[in-house]
Amino acid sequence: MRRHPLKLLRVVLAVTVFAALGAALADFRDLVPASVGHRLASVQLVPALLGLATGAGGWLAVALLFGMSLAVGRVYCSAVCPLGILQDAVARLASLVPLRKRRPVPYARPLTWLRWAFLGVALAGIAAGWAGATLAVLDPYSNFGRIAADLFRPLATLANNSVVGIANAAGIRSLYRVEPAWAAAGALAFPVLMLALVSVLAAWRGRLYCNTVCPVGTALGVLGRFAAFRLAIERDACHKCAACLGACKAQCIDLRAGTIDASRCVGCFNCLGACDRHGIAYRFTWRRKPAPKPATEAATPDPARRAFLVGAAAAVGAAATSGLGARTSDGAGVAQPGGPISPPGAGDIERFLSRCTACHLCVSACPTHVLQPTVLDYGLAGLFVPHLDYTKAFCNYECNECGRVCPTGAISALALAEKQVAQIGIAGFHKDLCIVFAKGKDCAACAEHCPTKALRTVPYGDNLHLPEVTGELCIGCGACEFACPVQPQKAITVRSLRRHGHARKPVVEKAAAPVTSGDFPF
Amino acid sequence: MKTRRDFIKTGVALGTALSLADLGGLFAAEAPATAEPAPAPTPGAPRPVLVAVRDGSRTAMLDRALAELGGIGAFVRKGQTVAIKPNIGWDQPPAMGANTHPELIGHLVALCFAAGAKSVSVWDCTCDKWQKTYANSGIEKAAKDAGAAVVPGDDPALYREVEIPGAPTLQKARVHSLYLDSDVVFNVPVLKHHFGSTMTACMKNLMGVVSKRDQQRYHKIDLHQCIAEFVTFRKPALNIVDAYHPMVRNGPRGLSPNDLVEMRTLLVSTDIVAVDAAAARLLGHEPADIRHISIAGKLKLGAADLGAVDIRRFKLA
Repeated sequence: MRRHPLKLLRVVLAVTVFAALGAALADFRDLVPASVGHRLASVQLVPALLGLATGAGGWLAVALLFGMSLAVGRVYCSAVCPLGILQDAVARLASLVPLRKRRPVPYARPLTWLRWAFLGVALAGIAAGWAGATLAVLDPYSNFGRIAADLFRPLATLANNSVVGIANAAGIRSLYRVEPAWAAAGALAFPVLMLALVSVLAAWRGRLYCNTVCPVGTALGVLGRFAAFRLAIERDACHKCAACLGACKAQCIDLRAGTIDASRCVGCFNCLGACDRHGIAYRFTWRRKPAPKPATEAATPDPARRAFLVGAAAAVGAAATSGLGARTSDGAGVAQPGGPISPPGAGDIERFLSRCTACHLCVSACPTHVLQPTVLDYGLAGLFVPHLDYTKAFCNYECNECGRVCPTGAISALALAEKQVAQIGIAGFHKDLCIVFAKGKDCAACAEHCPTKALRTVPYGDNLHLPEVTGELCIGCGACEFACPVQPQKAITVRSLRRHGHARKPVVEKAAAPVTSGDFPF
Repeated sequence: MKTRRDFIKTGVALGTALSLADLGGLFAAEAPATAEPAPAPTPGAPRPVLVAVRDGSRTAMLDRALAELGGIGAFVRKGQTVAIKPNIGWDQPPAMGANTHPELIGHLVALCFAAGAKSVSVWDCTCDKWQKTYANSGIEKAAKDAGAAVVPGDDPALYREVEIPGAPTLQKARVHSLYLDSDVVFNVPVLKHHFGSTMTACMKNLMGVVSKRDQQRYHKIDLHQCIAEFVTFRKPALNIVDAYHPMVRNGPRGLSPNDLVEMRTLLVSTDIVAVDAAAARLLGHEPADIRHISIAGKLKLGAADLGAVDIRRFKLA
């Protein structure tokens, strides 16, 4: 068994992408620059397509991904997709456990109907205006994002905390304790189950998830069948020793027929090194045959594929005309009591939900952790979409990280000055609950924290200071609500806006000196 | 690192903290006014000294003030551990005047080391995210460049709950170990308007040595009363007010540099109440109108009446 250079290249690329994207998502100290997470997430297929549709990303990523798949097959699934790479890692670890004698996974027939059904569901969901929720469940990158951000990140934090003491004692000052950011149990359950599912499938049958459930795998499989370079069995050299079957994680090598199912081959190149006789070759196929159709399957038209193609065409058309389901809504600036507060740059809840696939890269990037995963707070259409939780923290005025990392354009990359007037909610003051009114003591924790001075205090009673809100200056950052010491019902709360508004930028004239002389006033 | 070492000698430190707390009890509101030794001005006792300097750079003004008080060596002796508590509340750059100026902190750190300090630590329990606040304020870099340890203020493991016998309202608080265990504490606030407490200077700055939850308790119980009562627990060795360009409105966070008025002033005193009283005047307030100053005066924590203070005024230009 040799290590084929193509496999080496694939492994190096996969490890690099996985490590960098994993670090960005599991980053609990804001050490990874926003550009790293954003760029790597933006070349994942679903975010790239969404970015193209929303204008947040250009043609380049999409052209690159499709071009690559057409040139060399589904290499994406082995070298770029973090959920795919994760499965390889799990399978590798599982193979080290000597549970029972492992036999090579034999060839299996493709589960064609099931594959296209999942892809069909994904496209239908997008066409119906449920792009966010559908892709949140089915997009492999988003699933990996939640596994890394919601599960790996707090685990990495705990690991950090367990060595802080030793490191500090050894004089390493750069480490410090960090509060682990666990998502609520409901939001954490899905990524945990997803990790369990892909792990079990990967340990048992390699890339079964990618070749059955994953709509991205199925879509790229279509391109893979027509790829310029494809793995193929050299019938003259092959002795049917089945060494390649032991190396294949996709169960796509059919030795009896002497074919490799390019729609399921993920381009890991393991088989190349497994064969001592050069019985498998990576061949340029476009020149050899007059017809680009693969001879084996094209001869018998697949009714499932036919039916699917009709449906898919309809779905894509519908999605294109509906503008990714960004349904129009009236009522800009209409407060929604109790509704979740969406991040600055989300713009409008419908628009936001149609674009956010809940990858939780923003949840990891948010330095204050005010961005928290939800389950159904936005309704089913906003499954797992993050919201601002003012019981945890408040939105830092000097920060626009969430928009900078978002790969789909769900959170627009607002410049800091724009973000500082993006009105995501409006503070409401409940005077009866306020300490100044109820107890007759000064407080003003709210006005103290307000970055725009939409909240200030006015003279009240006997040398007291009572909070007052100027709604048009308020951006809804939640600093006041977070700081308010009144429990459990806060004396100041932010109501969300279904469609974000623009706050007035406060004009600040030069302050007059309280003491005019240049001398000491004492 | 300083905090590790302290962790090991927790027992010793706790003893120190408790004895300091006992000392605080002597100045409680109910304490008899005559017999007990108090730092407040009593007839015959030397008046507290307040050094006020104008019209120089922050570092030059600090050097002038310290020279008047016997130099840094009067406060820091060889081998001592020093903690510096600036105001690092907000994720704002130095030009916004929301935090103590980094130049002042860097200079003070260097002075402490020159006096033979074993270690110098700088920290605050910030309002904005501490990593961003430490960085944007410029204090992290200035302090580290001068050799200080910059310690997180949000780590619950670094706080210990202490009883404060001299504080009938506050009673107890979780206090940062640097404040509990360091040999010398310097209190170095920036002078600002404050929507809640009218002004913030030295006593208000000490709110940053208790935990976030206790800060909320202050607001909930009685802000001014708690601010004043906490001083009974331990008084900083020296209070230094950065009033170079105080924030005169929209404080303590500030909206723009237009909220600042250039005064190029520095106030230094061992008397935390006297220095706050003088700072109040800079902002155009009568000290008696700032409730935590008048409460502190009544608790005999210092001189709320500037008439009882030996004020030494210097103009460097």
